[in-house]
Amino acid sequence: MTLVGLAVTFLGFVIAFVSLGVTESTGMRMAIVLVGIVVSLIGIMGLITPAYQKSWIYKKG
Amino acid sequence: MTKKIVLVLAAVVCLARVGTVRAQEPVTTPTPATAATAAAPITDAELKAAAKPTDRTNGDPDGALTGTANDIAIADPKAGLTVTDVLNQIGANRIGVNFTWTLLCGFLIMFMQAGFAVVEAGLCRAKNANHTMMMNFMVYGVGMLAYFLIGFPLQMGGAGAVANLGGSPVLNAEFTFHLFGKDIGLFGNTGYLLMHHGTYDVAVMVIFLFQMVFMDTTTTIVTGTCCERWKYAAFMVSTMFLGAFTYPIFANWAWGGGWLAMLGANFGLGHGYADFAGSGVVHSVGGITALACALILGPRIGKFTRDGKPNPIPGHDIMWVLCGCFILAFGWFGFNPGSTLAMSGNGGLRASSVAVNTMLAGMTGSFGGILYMWIRYGKPDASMSGNAFLAGLVAITAPSGFVNPVAAAIIGLVAGVLVCVSCEFIERVLKIDDPVGAISVHGTNGLWGVIAVGLFSDGKSNYGGSWNGVNGGVTGLFYGDAGQLVAQLLGVATLIGFVFVLSFVFNLLVDWFVGQRVSAKSELAGLDIPEMGALAYPDFVLKPEAEVAV
Repeated sequence: MTLVGLAVTFLGFVIAFVSLGVTESTGMRMAIVLVGIVVSLIGIMGLITPAYQKSWIYKKG
Repeated sequence: MTKKIVLVLAAVVCLARVGTVRAQEPVTTPTPATAATAAAPITDAELKAAAKPTDRTNGDPDGALTGTANDIAIADPKAGLTVTDVLNQIGANRIGVNFTWTLLCGFLIMFMQAGFAVVEAGLCRAKNANHTMMMNFMVYGVGMLAYFLIGFPLQMGGAGAVANLGGSPVLNAEFTFHLFGKDIGLFGNTGYLLMHHGTYDVAVMVIFLFQMVFMDTTTTIVTGTCCERWKYAAFMVSTMFLGAFTYPIFANWAWGGGWLAMLGANFGLGHGYADFAGSGVVHSVGGITALACALILGPRIGKFTRDGKPNPIPGHDIMWVLCGCFILAFGWFGFNPGSTLAMSGNGGLRASSVAVNTMLAGMTGSFGGILYMWIRYGKPDASMSGNAFLAGLVAITAPSGFVNPVAAAIIGLVAGVLVCVSCEFIERVLKIDDPVGAISVHGTNGLWGVIAVGLFSDGKSNYGGSWNGVNGGVTGLFYGDAGQLVAQLLGVATLIGFVFVLSFVFNLLVDWFVGQRVSAKSELAGLDIPEMGALAYPDFVLKPEAEVAV
C-alpha cells in the first residue's frame, strides 16, 4: 500500500506538470493543477499514512 | 465685535489659502537639460586637484580628513587620480555594499541554528535534551559538507550571473531537456568544490555562503519533528541526502534557473514560480521532509493511547522555547531582507519594506495563535504562541518582497490560526507525532506563503526591472494576474507530489540500511545516554516514565 501511495502522490505532481502542455488557458491549467494537488494529498493522507499507522507502536500488543 | 470676529476669520482663511497654495506649489527642480548644461564633465586635472595631501599628524578627531578623494584607489600612481579610477571606485563601492549586506545577512541566518537548537531542545523532555542539541549542532556541519560536495553545484550551477553581486557569469551550466517546445531546467552542473570552471570567485563565495545557510535551515527543521526517537546515525545520513539532493534540486527549480522559475518566460504564467526568501524552497521542503520522516519513524512511545487518543508530552523548558523564537525572529531579518542580495541598486532599498513586512507578519501570527488558543481552550498556550509567531514569519518569507504591509499583516494572521488548526489535524486526524509542530509551522505555512504570493503580490516591487526574466513586478490574483497564482500552485504541487516522494524514498532507504528508530528500551531511558553517552543535565534527577503504551 505504501508503494501505491507513493505512486499516487507522484501522479498528482505529473498531472499538475502536464497542465503546461495540454492547454494554454490559465483557468484550465489552474483546474488541472488543483486536481493534481488533491490527488497527491490523497496519496499521502489516504494511502501512505494509514499504511504506516498499522505498524506504529501504539497499535501493537 | 461680530465684525472683528469676521475679520479675524477672514484673515485666517486667507492665510490658510495662501499656505495651502504654497504647500501645493511644486518644488522647482532643474530639468534634465538645465542640469546637463550646468554640470560640466569632471576632468582628470580637477580630480588631481581634489586629491591634496592632508596633514594627519594630529589625527582626525572629527573625521573630516578621513574618507576623501585621497582614499580612492589609484590604478597608476604616475598618472594620479583619473576619472576611470573614480568610476571604478563607485562600482567597487556598490558591489562592496551589496557583498557586506548579503554576507552580514548570511551570518544572521547562521545564528538561527542556535534558535532552532534551543526551541527544539526546550520542547523535548530533559532526558533527550543532549541528543536533540547534538542533532542541531551537527546538522550544521553535515548539511554543509553535503552542500559543498554536491548540493551547491546542483542548485546554483546554472543560476547565471547575479548582477547585484558583480555579475559573475561562471555559474552557467544548467542541465535541461526539451518538452512542450521549451527547455526544462533540471539541475546545475558546475561549481563543484567551489573550484570547478572558474567558480573560485568572490561573487560565487557570497552566493555559496548565503545559500548554504538557507539549506541548513531546511535540514534543522526535520530534527525537531523526529526528536526523541531518531537514531543519530540515521539522522546524519538522512541530513546528507537532504543537503545533497532533495533541497538543491527543488531550490534549482525555484532559484537556480530551473523550470519552475521559467514558468513565466516559457509558459506565460506570471513571473514564474516566485519565492522571495523561501517559504517553499526552505520551509516547505523542510516541513514536507519532516512529514515523510515522521511517517517512517512513527510516534513516540506514550504519545497515543491504544485507541489513538493523543497524550500531551510537554517539553522541559518553555523559557528556552520562547527565547529561541526571538533568536529565530532576529535571524529572519537576515533571511528575508537579505534576499534582495543588495542594498545598492536593482531595488535593494526595498529591503526596508521586506523587513517591515517580516516583523508585521510575525506580530499578527502570534496574535492569531494566541487568540485561537485562548478562545478554543481558555488559555493562551505558550508553545503554540511561539509556533504561531514562527508560522507568521514562515508564511511571509515568500511574499515578503512582493506585498504591501497590510497584506503582510493578513498573511501572518492567517498563518497564526492555520498553524493551530494544522497541529490539531496532524495529531488528532492523521495521528502523526510532531513534538515541536514543525510540519505545521514550516510545511503547512510554507505552502500558505507560496500561495499568498499568487494572491497578494501588488506589482510594485522592482528588482532591476524584471523577475525570473519577465518584465515588471510580480502581481497576484487580487491585483489582476491569475497566471501568477497558477505558477505558485504548480510549486505547491511539486512540493507535495515530488519533494515528498523524493524525501520519502530517500528515508525509506535509510530505514532499510541504517534503521531510523532507536530501540524501545533506549527511548524509554531517554536518548542522552544510549545515543550520546552523556546526559544534558547530569546533576538533575529525571522523572521516571509515568506510563508506557507497550
